[in-house]
Amino acid sequence: MKGGSLLLPFLTTMENFMMTPHLSKAVMPVGTDTLADRVSSAGKSDSQTERTVDWLSLVVIAPAVLILLGFLLLFFYGVYQSLTDLRLGRPIVRFVGFANYTALMKTTDFWNNIRVTVTYAVCAVLLQALLGLAIAKLFASGVLLARLLRPIILLPLVLPPMSVALMWTTMMNPQSGILNYLLSLVKLGPFSWISDPATALLSVILIDVWTYTPFFTLIIFAGLQGITDDLREAARINGAKAWATFTNIELPLIAPYILIAGVFRVIESLNQFDIIFGTTQGGPGNSTAALSVQAYFTAFQNLTFGRGAALMVVNWLIVLIGAFLMVKAWQAVRSRVS
Amino acid sequence: MDFTRSPATTFVLNALVALCALILAFPLVWIVMMSLKTQTDVMAWPPTFVFTPTLENFRVLFDVAQAGATSYGTIKVDFLSPIINSVVIALGSVVVSLIVGVPAGYVLARRDIPFKEDIAFFILGFRFAPVLLVVIPLFSLFQSMGLYDTYVGMVWVYQVITLPMIVWLTRSYVEDIPKDIEEAAAIDGAKPVRVVLHIVLPLLKTGLIGASLLVFLLAWHNFALGLMLSSTKAPVTVALLKLLNPGVQFYPVMAAGLVVTMIVPVILIVVGQRHLERGLTFGAVK
Repeated sequence: MKGGSLLLPFLTTMENFMMTPHLSKAVMPVGTDTLADRVSSAGKSDSQTERTVDWLSLVVIAPAVLILLGFLLLFFYGVYQSLTDLRLGRPIVRFVGFANYTALMKTTDFWNNIRVTVTYAVCAVLLQALLGLAIAKLFASGVLLARLLRPIILLPLVLPPMSVALMWTTMMNPQSGILNYLLSLVKLGPFSWISDPATALLSVILIDVWTYTPFFTLIIFAGLQGITDDLREAARINGAKAWATFTNIELPLIAPYILIAGVFRVIESLNQFDIIFGTTQGGPGNSTAALSVQAYFTAFQNLTFGRGAALMVVNWLIVLIGAFLMVKAWQAVRSRVS
Repeated sequence: MDFTRSPATTFVLNALVALCALILAFPLVWIVMMSLKTQTDVMAWPPTFVFTPTLENFRVLFDVAQAGATSYGTIKVDFLSPIINSVVIALGSVVVSLIVGVPAGYVLARRDIPFKEDIAFFILGFRFAPVLLVVIPLFSLFQSMGLYDTYVGMVWVYQVITLPMIVWLTRSYVEDIPKDIEEAAAIDGAKPVRVVLHIVLPLLKTGLIGASLLVFLLAWHNFALGLMLSSTKAPVTVALLKLLNPGVQFYPVMAAGLVVTMIVPVILIVVGQRHLERGLTFGAVK
């Protein structure tokens, strides 16, 4: 399993968080660690160094911090722009307060954008967690093919999301696509997939599920590896059925893994741009217009940058809420387990 | 655990694993087949699994001079420069991130500086950065600074993705190195900089190679930044989208383009497998 996880962004660091308790505090995006924790971890990390300012270290870390601070300033500048009527190519920029936001809230399009964004993320992440769990259990069974074919789990994750999007676009073509052909073999379809407003969102969600289910699989797999066979054996000897062992012993132990994977996936899918842009560009109609896609067209096609920035600020707020809820759930489950 | 399983169960489990693998791998196999077909074969119904392969689609992608005169009619694609752009931007991003990020990661793991956890935290936060909200103000800034559509500008903006990753991976790798080694060297009178260069860095090498491959992959994946902040220096992911012209669907040519963008990550895994595995077992083996 280890061989694969480096291919994932942040997975390796996350495994480290799970393994080293003092670090797991640092992963939480909300400030929950107490002062006492920080003092103790600081006390652990310095060795025999005296209490003078370590100028060399500060100089060494400065470039990285400065580069990222630059992006932080840009972020705040973006938030400011959402309060202006900035248009590209027009020199006059006025501060308009929350006018962009109030104007947005009066349109049905805006509420549709929010509905699409949230539906996309919730459905995709739920399906991925369920399927990821099932596939992880399947590969953890250790049967011959599971050992041989495990590297294939990684495949969707190493491909560029744009390539994945376009690959599925060709396969979902209603006239010539392979998907309708394969389904017709089992007397299903034909479906219009991404060309029909009624099924477009679901189709795009399915593409997301195909791409990122392996992410859950890998993390849950790592969690399953951590459960010793003794524990399962003990449950079995005590007469527990396989299903009962799973729900009463394994599931509570891997729940933190599922949720930490969920934190990352919720954030990423609420921000999802590539897959939607590569398949439907928000269409047909506005059936798949998530906030990020809408913001792109508002800013870069209609050139109303202020309005586009406002859409992104809303998107960012939704991401914050989603991340907050997931982290809370993760903390609750983790404290219950340990 | 295996010994309790009946042959029937084992067979079913194997079959289910095979099904999963098929679902994961089939789309790629199909796209590779499509890239070797002619337009007529691609549009055929039912889809053909047996056909005479042709490299015509790949020729169209890269043969700029001849591209106008193909069996597809007029299609002019220049796929080589986007590939070069992607390689230059991704390599540049990795190099800059390594230079800036590895020392920072080391300091965050080993040195005692004020607000250390807050800084580490701030850097991690960029994993969740709303990229579009950064790009919208960047767009006008880039144009006034002359950075729009330049390699320098692209490499700089890619740091928002690659730099936090390198810092965090370095930090976790350094924490895996036993501290005693450094302390022993320090007691022997070696200067801190020498300790880092001669003792820590060689131990970090495999981990850093793995981290670089991963970060290269992340940069190669990126689409949104290139779409909004470049035109002639656009990466290959942006060029790919242009192949899907809604009027004329040259699916086989696009499939060839897809194969090219997907083959790079696959090659990276094959080439880097040894490094990746060593980089990862590094933490467990110490």
